Amino acid sequence: MNDRALQDDVIRALADAPYRASAEWRGRGLVDAGKVERFARFLARHFYHERIVHFFKYSRALARVTARWPEAVLRQPGFDALLATAVLGERATAHAVARLVTAYVAGEEVPYHKDLLRYQEAMMVVEAGPRVWRDTGRDDDRPAVVPPPPPPPPPPELVEGTELLELEYDLPTVLPQLLQPWTTPPEAPRRATRLIVARSRHGRVAVARASDAIASVVRFADGARTVDDLARAAGLRPGEIAATLRDLTEIGAVRFSTGS
Amino acid sequence: MMVGAFYNPHLGAELAAARNIDHLAMADPPAAGDRHWPAIKQRYTLLLHDYLGQLSEPLDDRAIERARSLAGLYDSPWVAEHFQCLHTEDGTYNLNYVFPPLYTEEFLARFVTNANALKARLDQPLVMENIPGFFDVHASQMPEPVWLRRFFDATGTGFLLDLPHVWLEAHYRGLTPQAWLAEFPLEHVVEVHVAGVEQDRDLEGPWIAPTAPSDAMLDFMAHALTRCPATRAVTFDAFSPSLTADVLFSSVDRIRAAL
Repeated sequence: MNDRALQDDVIRALADAPYRASAEWRGRGLVDAGKVERFARFLARHFYHERIVHFFKYSRALARVTARWPEAVLRQPGFDALLATAVLGERATAHAVARLVTAYVAGEEVPYHKDLLRYQEAMMVVEAGPRVWRDTGRDDDRPAVVPPPPPPPPPPELVEGTELLELEYDLPTVLPQLLQPWTTPPEAPRRATRLIVARSRHGRVAVARASDAIASVVRFADGARTVDDLARAAGLRPGEIAATLRDLTEIGAVRFSTGS
Repeated sequence: MMVGAFYNPHLGAELAAARNIDHLAMADPPAAGDRHWPAIKQRYTLLLHDYLGQLSEPLDDRAIERARSLAGLYDSPWVAEHFQCLHTEDGTYNLNYVFPPLYTEEFLARFVTNANALKARLDQPLVMENIPGFFDVHASQMPEPVWLRRFFDATGTGFLLDLPHVWLEAHYRGLTPQAWLAEFPLEHVVEVHVAGVEQDRDLEGPWIAPTAPSDAMLDFMAHALTRCPATRAVTFDAFSPSLTADVLFSSVDRIRAAL
């Protein structure tokens, strides 16, 4: 094992509680296990503090009337209990932490509170997962000679973690107002609203209103159907499927499968 | 000698009107809706102190262009990065917190190569900040100060000396901060960070916190500056939504008084 791989092993031990408890890691004898455990717990609380403050910022704004600050869960027994199984950045851990937050801040202070919690939870969960930290440039390589005609596009597939949210209230109209000064919480129009939440491979979370075309493509993009098959299944014309796939690719919701 | 702080956007109004601060370090780019940013940009010398990437790997073109763009936006006199390796090479695990590399020959070669490559693409000098280790990894091959000295000698980059990081390492090693500091290559120091420390429940000991530096920390700073002849700036290193204007301004005043 070279030094870079050894460093990765230490990083994994700090991020991944089950690995940290494993005989494989403990057998290496690289570090003081007690100190590593303390530092790992410190890191976990820091890691999720940043995410809760960012993704639950609307619940933080509402804390003026609810007096329930989302980040308070980090000092509660539920979070301490999670630490034994937490894997920083993993989707299941993000989901578990987000559930602790929503259970704590849930209330009836605004009629759209339930939708708001689902929205914030979705943002936090979609953000989780491995990400590309640096581009190697291999994707940008260009041939030195005139290329052959392009092959047909590979089948599009939904990127894991992409989420479609069906809401009872039109949240996008009220979210900016929640972060502004107010004396009574702003109201949201009661109007069925569909949003798509996705993440780019570099980790940027994007949210957009989802049209019927987007919802259909999300439903049928399984990595097996070709673009033509997908258009037929979703009931879209060639121009519509191209535009929809372009929009979904831009926000990281869809990628084109290159496997066999 | 400039005395400054970090730009904390929630204190934008107070910072835009402040008179006792010479510079602001920028940990994040200004938000699109930050109405204080134009005044901040006009009023202050700004230091680029963002996350550019970890130099255990080469920075890609996207990261370098971002660094160049931010340095140009701020007209920063130097560009700062950290001696850190906080995510795995494949991107699966990420600590989201500064974490030092193993102090080995292999990592030294990696950091020297990648820092030299970054330096060559920047229009401003590069400075590198020391990162505290809470525990030792037995695979390290040399003490941190030796590794840092060899890095600075090989790259000619500047040293951003974080004093609380040295103070904490000394604490956890059972040394005096002054004795541990003496091991570091202080002749390369361009900027010094000063901050407060608080007891942390998980660590069962002190760690960096967005609080005012203690009198002992300020005495340590005064001691350090007598040994860092090339220092051009001292920065109160606190960047947090929980930081209050009172703590920020009083800390800068106390730093200035202790110089």
